[in-house]
Amino acid sequence: MAEKGRLVDLCLFAGKLMVTYGAETYRAEDIMNRMAVAGGLKNVHSFVTTTGIFLSGIQDNGDNLMQMIRIVDRFQDLNKVAEVNQLSRDFVLGRINEQEANEQLIKISAARMNYPLWLIYIASGVAGGAFSYLVGNTKFDMIPAAMGGLMSTLFLVLFQHYLHAKFFSEYLASFFGSIIALALLHSGYGSNVDQVIIGTIIPLVPGIPLTNSVRDLMNGDFISGLGRGAEAALTALSIAAGVATAVSLFLP
Amino acid sequence: MWELLICFMATVAFAIIFNTPFRLLGRIGMIGVLAWTVYSFIQDINVSFIAAAALAAFSASLMSYGLSRRHRVPVTTFAIPGIIPLVPGGKAYETMLAFVDENYIEGLTQGVATMLHAGAIAGGVVFALSIFSIGRGIDQRYET
Repeated sequence: MAEKGRLVDLCLFAGKLMVTYGAETYRAEDIMNRMAVAGGLKNVHSFVTTTGIFLSGIQDNGDNLMQMIRIVDRFQDLNKVAEVNQLSRDFVLGRINEQEANEQLIKISAARMNYPLWLIYIASGVAGGAFSYLVGNTKFDMIPAAMGGLMSTLFLVLFQHYLHAKFFSEYLASFFGSIIALALLHSGYGSNVDQVIIGTIIPLVPGIPLTNSVRDLMNGDFISGLGRGAEAALTALSIAAGVATAVSLFLP
Repeated sequence: MWELLICFMATVAFAIIFNTPFRLLGRIGMIGVLAWTVYSFIQDINVSFIAAAALAAFSASLMSYGLSRRHRVPVTTFAIPGIIPLVPGGKAYETMLAFVDENYIEGLTQGVATMLHAGAIAGGVVFALSIFSIGRGIDQRYET
């Protein structure tokens, strides 16, 4: 019981990391199945949703094993997904044993983002400026758009840290980002409101939930697909509400 | 040329926001440039934006699948930042603005256009996905 129980724990840990940091449902199910079969379980079934993971199997002596794990937070970190994917490959091919896999998983889950925070702020500024150019073709609007994109990500990280309320902090981030962009517009930088606002809110767009939702739905994983779709739609609504508040308050 | 450079910068910036591995940043940027080139070229020859978005998403995700096979990383690492330049941010903003102005007809028009644009991108991505799982048998689910 004990050793296969540890194997199930390992698989659930890997699956939890995958779903938490933005992998698709079928990939999490696939690596959990493969790892459990490689570890010696029989009749393995896994069921992954956006908010919880189930894994069941039969041991050599005929006993059933079934565990679940709850997923509370979801972030965006594709590097961790790639690393867990590589680790499951190594484990299935027998390059590392259970103990080493567990240690590596702990290391992966505790690892920091592989870019410093200031680089992410600058990247969202660059993304905002570049996107406003792609939408509207005027170089002059890139400055306030970049500034707004930078500030909205800055506010998002700040509010997430202090409020722990995902959708409300997205609302506040897009609200304050738009206010700063509009203030820059009013003081003479930039000419076109639409492009500046688009550049401001584009770093907040829920790219990973949106893409994964479509892929899950097309794959037949309807529960997790709808869950991620709802997450993406709520995020988009929060952003739109924030911009709408700012625009209706400060745009005559 | 200037536009393609800007597009490369936007894609790489999103790749940094999503925290993709450093060694892949250049290739991700190239995927974004490819998507944008296809998208603007097809719109230049007077085809609707829906077909342009679908074809651009299709070519970008086809390249993502090929690269993810070669570098042995999950395909989302390439595909998610790669299709970001196609996101209908402008249309979504117009929709929101029209509803705020209580201009509901315009809002519905723009909203339907936004939905069609997003649906076309999803269709392109899924079509590339199914091409890469041809020949794996009926029981097999989509791979890579």
